[in-house]
Amino acid sequence: MPGQQTTKHPLLAVEDLHVTFPTRKGLVEAVRGISFSLGREKLGIVGESGSGKSMTGRAILRLVAKPGIVRAKRLEFDGIDLQRAGEAQLRQIRGQRISMVMQDPKFSLNPVMRVGEQIAEAYRTHQKVAAAEAKRRALEMLKAVRIRDPERVYRAYPHEVSGGMGQRIMIAMMLIPDPDLLIADEPTSALDVTVQLQVLAILDDLVTQRGMGLIFISHDLNLVASFCDRVVIMYAGRVMEICDAKNLQAAQHPYTRGLLNCLPKIDGEGHDLPVLRRDPAWLEHGL
Amino acid sequence: MTSMIDVVKLNVVFGDGADRVHAVRDVSFRVPEGATFGLVGESGSGKSTVLRALSGLNPNWTGRVVIAGQPQGIRRDKAFYKLVQMVFQDPYGSLHPRHTVDRILMEPLAIHRLDNPDRRIEQVLGEVGLGPAFRFRYPHQLSGGQRQRVAIARALILEPKVLLLDEPTSALDVSVQAEVLNLLQRLKQERGLTYILVSHNLAVVAHMCDELAVMNHGAVVEELEVSRLKRHDPSHPYTRQLMVASLGYDRAAIDRFEEFGREG
Repeated sequence: MPGQQTTKHPLLAVEDLHVTFPTRKGLVEAVRGISFSLGREKLGIVGESGSGKSMTGRAILRLVAKPGIVRAKRLEFDGIDLQRAGEAQLRQIRGQRISMVMQDPKFSLNPVMRVGEQIAEAYRTHQKVAAAEAKRRALEMLKAVRIRDPERVYRAYPHEVSGGMGQRIMIAMMLIPDPDLLIADEPTSALDVTVQLQVLAILDDLVTQRGMGLIFISHDLNLVASFCDRVVIMYAGRVMEICDAKNLQAAQHPYTRGLLNCLPKIDGEGHDLPVLRRDPAWLEHGL
Repeated sequence: MTSMIDVVKLNVVFGDGADRVHAVRDVSFRVPEGATFGLVGESGSGKSTVLRALSGLNPNWTGRVVIAGQPQGIRRDKAFYKLVQMVFQDPYGSLHPRHTVDRILMEPLAIHRLDNPDRRIEQVLGEVGLGPAFRFRYPHQLSGGQRQRVAIARALILEPKVLLLDEPTSALDVSVQAEVLNLLQRLKQERGLTYILVSHNLAVVAHMCDELAVMNHGAVVEELEVSRLKRHDPSHPYTRQLMVASLGYDRAAIDRFEEFGREG
């Protein structure tokens, strides 16, 4: 497969993944035959709205809601065939081995439960430990995501914390079972730039320290290029290009080039921004 | 150049007692006619509140606001709204979901009793790059970029002199953002408009504006020419930190980030 950095046993292997939704007007194909593999690295998936990037992340964890249909030639995580795994086995995998951070902490946290208890619950779902031990671990985790006053935040309700802190709490909850793979779907796009980078730095350090794999889904090409090791560029449900993040500025595909060019730059010229011209052929051919 | 907008010691306070929030503190700036002025800051910095006070949407302000030579009070008359129009951040929330584009554009014309509504609607749709085919569609039949074009058309149809732009492209994909920014630049040249652009995106502001003010905790920390920003040479450490953050992920730089509290 082109663009696939073949280690013998990648952490995650995706081959010819399709996600389709039957609608009154016929089948809508959200993801149309994409392939990639992931080692213990930071992989970015970039695309515009509707490109299928979020559906790709959800399909891996079988979180695509009915009537959506997911099929793939191969969907394998650490030797486990995710398509043939039963619901019980998948519940073991979700959270403990693969976890997912969503975009908006406001809608992902339980509004009537103290955040610390939610983190402890995530731990106790997968580990048989006493409540006191779970609390100790949750407090440790809050410290690891650089929350200054973990005791106070542990007792807070979601509406009492800021967006940046809410996202750190989500990350703490997702990381406490010590997963091998974290899927982060636009985890920081609701945050201010400086807070966004601070949250990414926490993720970065944890990936490095724990040897975790990370799939980072984002619409922000520059951010992904500076943060990730490799980048998958998606358009209309297909992969246009997979390249090393450090070579992104030299990307060849006209879609990638178009996306890069239409961004305003702080030190850019005052001329009109080049507008992305979409080639209908991109709809037909992906990697 | 004569100044189109003059703001002196603008203060906005919400609530009182324990809930008192001083959202805008002694903000002053002036915008020459035909210029684009940027207001930059993070969430909660007060940048949108300044815009809402200028547009007459927020009555809780004190200070002096002069627009096109007219000192403005709390209440604005109809002539003011013909002169100053606003474009909002969320094109999904700012258009009536059960009104067609035609009806959305007809309303300001009816309020201001302008003649020839048919011709005006067709003309303004053409100017924002939407053909006459869009006239009888509903917002849900349009993409985000097309909706923002309708919102811009609704503001322009009264032939205002000033457009207040509140994060006009932050809900759009970057490719659509480029189209809308180009459209705003072209309209400004064709009609000699004056813009105030509120944005959290320094690159967008650097691209669009002549001058900008950086806000933090309700106050302006620095006012600078865009050329200084383009040379990566802002003087205030807060502006410099925002600039570094806008340039992308840099692990080492993040450890040097500081909290900037309220000054003075």
